[in-house]
Amino acid sequence: MALLISGRGRRAVALATVAAASITVLAACGNSSDAPSIDGIGAKAGASYDKIITSAPVASAADVDQNAWAKKIKAQGYLKVGGTDSGPLFSIKDINTGELTGFDAGLSQMLAHYITGKDDVKALTQLTITSVDTRETMLQNNTVDAVFATYSITPERAQKVDFAGPYYQSGDAIMVQKDNTSIKGVDDLNGKTVATESSSTAALAVKKLAPKAKVLLFKEDQQCVAAVQQGRADAYVLDQGILLGDALSNDSVKLVGGDPFTVDPYGVGLNKDTDAKPFVNAFLKKIYASGDWAKLWKATIGTVVSGDAPKPPTIGSVPGS
Amino acid sequence: MHVIIDNIGFLLQGVVVTIELTVLGYVGALLLGTMFAVFRVGPITPLRVIGSIYVEFFRNIPLLALLVLVIFGLPDAGVTIPLFASAAVCLALSGSAFVCEAMRGGINSVSVGQAEAARAIGLSFNQVLGHVILPQAFRAMVQPLVNVFIGVLLSSALAAAVGVPELTNRTQQLNLQYAEAVVCFLFAGAVYLLVALSAGAVGGRLERRLAIKR
Repeated sequence: MALLISGRGRRAVALATVAAASITVLAACGNSSDAPSIDGIGAKAGASYDKIITSAPVASAADVDQNAWAKKIKAQGYLKVGGTDSGPLFSIKDINTGELTGFDAGLSQMLAHYITGKDDVKALTQLTITSVDTRETMLQNNTVDAVFATYSITPERAQKVDFAGPYYQSGDAIMVQKDNTSIKGVDDLNGKTVATESSSTAALAVKKLAPKAKVLLFKEDQQCVAAVQQGRADAYVLDQGILLGDALSNDSVKLVGGDPFTVDPYGVGLNKDTDAKPFVNAFLKKIYASGDWAKLWKATIGTVVSGDAPKPPTIGSVPGS
Repeated sequence: MHVIIDNIGFLLQGVVVTIELTVLGYVGALLLGTMFAVFRVGPITPLRVIGSIYVEFFRNIPLLALLVLVIFGLPDAGVTIPLFASAAVCLALSGSAFVCEAMRGGINSVSVGQAEAARAIGLSFNQVLGHVILPQAFRAMVQPLVNVFIGVLLSSALAAAVGVPELTNRTQQLNLQYAEAVVCFLFAGAVYLLVALSAGAVGGRLERRLAIKR
């Protein structure tokens, strides 16, 4: 019986063949214009974005000294942020510069700038990727100083962590295929297959408002879009801003149902054992008043949502904040 | 703890899906892996080459990449397989490469003299494999094959990322609602541990049963 004696030469050929084959397969699955892309919307990092961050207010030395949490961050020289680098509009890494941009990322950079007074935007924050599974724990054990991650304020979460804000009020919208006529609003989702991100409270909203919907959880926004385009899901429910961004870059889908059907307040997650909350709330009030919040909104979410920046939500206006 | 107790039915459905995925994936891996192992130790050169390429490909591609290719890539080529089936197929493909190598290792642990002696008394390739080599090789395969089973079980958690409502996915859903990550994931971890330990125990018993008294 001939047991396989694989010579070096043959193995090398086999490996090369396999490598070539996989590259071909991957290339075939690459982005053609009609194929769903599995990457996010590229954000615009650059001088104008950086200027929005660095022209925002800086805290007085007295303000920082009176707050143990802020004092620690000033001494550290940067802010340890929990978030994501693949969230379109909110927090996404610029491929070319490696800089994080977006509404959440920008706010975290503004907060770091506010505390430290430094102007090198890229070095203001250090991102630790957190997921919905790890956010509370990472705050509790001080792996991160603050979480900026489209973090919906809920009473259950507020028992574990502090929320500054809300700094943005959003709501869920519905995305369907361009030629879909059967889904016009949230009631029509009953009996349909609905995709959403596993890290989003949208899943809870769908279960509550359309209890007969079958919910599919995907890890990433672009996977949900692909699921709708490829017919795995009838609809995709998520934050309206993000869906608008997706619809801009994919003309085979559309948004239905008019205004968002939920109210989803985002807060800054903070460790309960620190005095961070009043400090961050004071910072938010400052950038609301100075117009920097609105400038950042225009440069990020405002690129897909038309019209002027909305009025920022009132600090402490939702249960849990 | 109330999170777990209140939602035990919901979680157990996830456990069932995890077990289904694991068993289907593993059985598929055994069938495919056995076939390719026979290819790789057999006398037919083209089959040996195919076997090598297959194993090197599926052993070296990350499972998550494979899942994304099958679930989001194939529909662009006009083939849409349901999520659960996609996950089971990916687990089977990825597991089969490891099964194949475990089997080959077991076969190679039987000394060449055995095969030569069997050939000398005029047995065919199939008879050599079926009556002489494999019965002795099985014993050496048991633990590696248990390892592959545990690997498939733990890998099945990756299906959570692509929408299959198995244990990890349901744990994430609960955590969304209750913000009790530590409790939820401890429970899920305990379930995986329990299933993996059981598999290890079954493997140990099987090994003792198959032990050849020399």
